[in-house]
Amino acid sequence: MRREPPVTDPFVRMYHVSKSYMAGTFALHDVSLEVDRGEFVFLTGPSGAGKTTLLKLLFAAERPSEGQIILRGRNITRLREYGIPALRRRIGVVFQDFKLLGHRSVEENVGMALEVRGTPPREIRSRVFRVLKQVGLQHRRYHRAEALSGGEQQRVALARALVNDPELLLADEPTGNLDPELTLEIMDLIASAGARGTTVVVATHDLSLIDRYAKRTLHLEAGCVKRDAGAAAISA
Amino acid sequence: MRLLVVHLFYAARSAIRGLWASPVTTGVALVTIAVSLVLVGAFGLLVTNMQGLLDRVGEDLRVTAYLEEGISDEDLKRLALLTQTVEGVASVETISKDDALRIFDERLGGRSGLLEGLEYNPLPASLEITLVESQRSVGGLRVVVESLDGLPGIEELSYGEEWVEGYARALSMIRGLGVGVACVLALATLLIVGNTIKLAVYARRDEIEILGLVGASRSFVRIPFLLEGFTQGTLAALMALGLLYILYRILTPSLAAGIELLMGHASPAFFSPFQMFLLVASGAFVGALGSAAAFVEGGRR
Repeated sequence: MRREPPVTDPFVRMYHVSKSYMAGTFALHDVSLEVDRGEFVFLTGPSGAGKTTLLKLLFAAERPSEGQIILRGRNITRLREYGIPALRRRIGVVFQDFKLLGHRSVEENVGMALEVRGTPPREIRSRVFRVLKQVGLQHRRYHRAEALSGGEQQRVALARALVNDPELLLADEPTGNLDPELTLEIMDLIASAGARGTTVVVATHDLSLIDRYAKRTLHLEAGCVKRDAGAAAISA
Repeated sequence: MRLLVVHLFYAARSAIRGLWASPVTTGVALVTIAVSLVLVGAFGLLVTNMQGLLDRVGEDLRVTAYLEEGISDEDLKRLALLTQTVEGVASVETISKDDALRIFDERLGGRSGLLEGLEYNPLPASLEITLVESQRSVGGLRVVVESLDGLPGIEELSYGEEWVEGYARALSMIRGLGVGVACVLALATLLIVGNTIKLAVYARRDEIEILGLVGASRSFVRIPFLLEGFTQGTLAALMALGLLYILYRILTPSLAAGIELLMGHASPAFFSPFQMFLLVASGAFVGALGSAAAFVEGGRR
C-alpha cells in the first residue's frame, strides 16, 4: 500500500523541468518550483511563455524532456501510460475553449467525469445536481450545452472539473473568451474552490485578475520563471 | 463487479449512440459486410452440400474384386477368407461365375435371349467387399484397395474410382477457392469495419479527448468502439444468414435440374444450427477485429 505524503509537504514540486518540442528550442527551461497544498497560484506571462505547457505537464498531457515533477509525493514523470487516468481523476482541468460536447446535456457533460470512475447513475445524478447548484446552473441541467451562453458553458466546464472534488484544479485561460462580468463570476467560483482547500493553478494574461485576487503569481517568460511574487507582494 | 457493470452499461450505451449517430455510414457498412458474408456463406453452402454428398456416396462404397479365370472353388473360398482378414473389410460376398451370369441374366430381364448364343460364360467370378463404417470414405477406400491389390487370384479391383476421385478433386478445388474467397472477403470486411470505426473515432474525437482529460482509461474509451464493430459484424452476419436462406428457398426449386445432376437424388440442405452460429460468430469476430485494427493503426500515428 502506498503511503500518503505528509500534508506539510508541498503538493507540487518541479525540479529543473524542461520541455522541448524541437531540438534547441524550449517551451519550458529549467523550471523549479513548489506549490503548497491548498495554495492558489496564478501563472502569467506573454503568449508562448510556457504557461500551457506547464499545466499540461501537471496533468501528464505532456512529459518533461528533463527534470522531475512530484505531485502529492508521487513522481509523475515516471508514471506509466496506464497510471495517467488515475492521476487525472484527482485533477480538474478547465480550458479557455470549455471542451464541452455541445449536443449532450449539461448533466451528461458534467457526469462524464464520474462515469469514467464507474460511479452508479443515481449517484452521478445527485452529485451533478449538487455541483451544478454550486455554479448556479441546476435549472439548466437538461439543456444541451451548445444552447448555453459562453459564461454558462464555462461554468459547466468548471462543474465538470469540480464534480470529483479534485485535489488540484488547473485552469488554462478560463476567462479568455468571456466578458469582464462573466470573468469575475468564473474567477469567484474558482477562488471559492480554492477556499475549500483545493490547490489551484490558473494561467491567465489578465493582470487585473492578479491584482484583484492578490494571490501568489509566477511570471513566465520564454519558458523560464522570471518572477515568483507571493500574495503579500502582489497586494502591497 | 459493480464497476464492471457500470462500465459495460456505459460501453453499450455509447456503442448504440455511435451506431445511431451516423445511420448512413452504419447502414452502408452493414450492407457491405452482409454482402461479403453472403458470398462466403454461399461457398460454404456449396462445399457443405458437396461434402454431404461425398459422405453419402461413401456409405454405399464397395469394392468388387474380379478374379482370375479358372480359379478353383477351393481357391475362391480361401481368397474370400483371406480378404475378410484385411483391415477395413466388413464383409465379403462370393459370386461365382455361374452366379454372375445368373445376376446378369436377371438384370437383362426381357432381353435375356441375348445370352442364348453364348458358347461359354465370359463373366468372371468376383468378391463383393463392403467396408467397415470408419473406412467409408475416399481415403479409407484407397487404403483397403491398396491392401487387396496384389492378392493372389485377384485380376482387377473396381470401386468407381474415377467418379469418386474426380468428385473429391472438384470438392477440394471448390473448398480451396472458398477459403481463398473467404480470406479476401474477410480482409475486405476488416477494412470496411476498420474504416467505419475510424470515421466514428474521428467524428467523436472531441468526446475521446474529453474522456481522456477526465481520467478515462484506454479500455473505457475503446470498448464502446469494439462493441460497435462487434454489433455491426453480428447484425451483418444475421442479415447475410437471412438473405442466404431466402436465396436458398427461392433458388433451390428453380435449379432443381442442375442440383440433381450434381447431387443425384440427394436434396440440398441449409446450414446446421452450429454452422449458422459459426457464420454469425465469424461476422462478430471480424467486426470486433476491424475496430481493434482501426485503433492499432490510429495508435501508431
